Amino acid sequence: MATNRLPDPVAVLEAVGEQTVRSFRKVVGTVLDMLAAVGGVFAMCGRILWLFPQALRDPGAVMKQAMDLGVASLPLIFVTSLFVGMVSAVSAKYQFRNVVPLKYLGTSVTKLVLLELGPVLTALVMSGRIGSSIAAQIATMKEKEEIDAMTVLDLPPLRYLAAPRILVGILALPVLTTISCFLAIAGAWGVCVIGLGVTSYTFLSGTRLFFSSYDVFVMEIKALVFGLLISLLGYYHGIHAGGGAKGVGEATMKSVVSSSVMILLFDFLIAFLLLRNTGS
Amino acid sequence: MPGVQIDQNDEIIQLRQLRKSFWTTDGEQQVLQDVTLSIRRGETMVIIGVSGGGKSVILKHMIGLLQPDGGEVVVEGRVISTPDYFDAATIRRKMGMLFQMGALFDSMSVGENIAFALREHNEGIPEDSVDEIVARLLGLINLNPAFASKMPSELSGGMKKRVSLARTLAVEPEIVLYDEPTTGLDPITADVINDLILDTQKQFHVTSVVVTHDMVSAYKVADRIAMLYQGHIIFVGTPDEVKNTRNPYVQQFVRGQRKLESVAE
Repeated sequence: MATNRLPDPVAVLEAVGEQTVRSFRKVVGTVLDMLAAVGGVFAMCGRILWLFPQALRDPGAVMKQAMDLGVASLPLIFVTSLFVGMVSAVSAKYQFRNVVPLKYLGTSVTKLVLLELGPVLTALVMSGRIGSSIAAQIATMKEKEEIDAMTVLDLPPLRYLAAPRILVGILALPVLTTISCFLAIAGAWGVCVIGLGVTSYTFLSGTRLFFSSYDVFVMEIKALVFGLLISLLGYYHGIHAGGGAKGVGEATMKSVVSSSVMILLFDFLIAFLLLRNTGS
Repeated sequence: MPGVQIDQNDEIIQLRQLRKSFWTTDGEQQVLQDVTLSIRRGETMVIIGVSGGGKSVILKHMIGLLQPDGGEVVVEGRVISTPDYFDAATIRRKMGMLFQMGALFDSMSVGENIAFALREHNEGIPEDSVDEIVARLLGLINLNPAFASKMPSELSGGMKKRVSLARTLAVEPEIVLYDEPTTGLDPITADVINDLILDTQKQFHVTSVVVTHDMVSAYKVADRIAMLYQGHIIFVGTPDEVKNTRNPYVQQFVRGQRKLESVAE
């Protein structure tokens, strides 16, 4: 005969307690790992910045990275920026209807592109293009013992691998973002003139209205910081990759995810610091 | 091995009670439990043992790629195994390592691989001298100078290992570490590598440490052979002593027998 016995309350409490402690330990461990990673990234960043003068002594290596990471990204920037500008103009025109005069269309698109869309979207696209490329390259080199071989030959990887890539990341993003903003505004202008019935004069006079060089300064600061974040996190995740194809894949994924999150976080921080009190 | 002077009292590398663990998904795995071994200047020491037993881990401790959990690594009388050891560069420039898969830099040609450290450590060295050294080293590993322009992806496994040896020798090390130099090669190519290890020993008067589980290679190149078993060095002796020992674990390994009992009887 089956008996319906209640579970021992002490055993239940013990099981719940054990599970709670285990979960707590896991959470604490994860938090400590994250703090260690943040500390590691900052320490690595300091050492790499210190190595920039040495990296510049080999302009060939820096130029190679500039071609691979910067120039090769231009087609992607061209396509994404043009469409971002076009869709911004269409969306703005839709929201302005019967409320805001169309002369402000150029103003709105330019402000939006320079302060937000240009730097952030370029950085997000480049985290997938540059960050993942650096992470995959370095993780593969680690897997094939090339990093160990460099260390054994007394050729420090931070000097020969990290410094040129991060230097190019910092320099390339402002240039790519400037090109991206120009193309986005050009795309918006094109779609306004061709498809939205807005005259070229109306759009361009709106663009000049309220234009501030401070907006360009904020855009360049954002691009500079995003460039550092993307290349630094790409290298960090590559050099800490696990073994095999899985390790390379995870390093690439972590690089894109972490730099995307950090781009949005620093976008807010920079905007808060530089735009909060301006004009008040 | 004939032709090379070995000073029996000059111990260039000493491992003292070395301990090392790694964390895996199954928990802590203690790879080296108590490794004590001395390598004499000018000799070729071969470390044998099962795959995954920690032989390569020993090599990586010798060159400072890994730090031990306990014990000491002493190279030329200096303890290099402390985290605050500040002169790793000086020791590393005296040592070279041939990695299991060659570890050539994929983005560089064969010539650039060989010349990379040479150019970086000798600022202002004329390109003519670099080209001359690269050609000489390619000759040493029996490769045509035309190979200098080839990329690593165009080379066979044996060629990659030979180029890796040339890259190591370019910086004129006093100690060369070989990590599984013949693994994955056919017997003839493996013999070419063994001959290169012997030639390197004769021409450059280096101290060599070879990690392998290939007994043909071990008997051919070794002055002494050490056996790593379950994290301990359980035997050190000449190739003849290895062949004649009654140590059951050594006999099981060199004869390639699965069961220990059949040897011990």
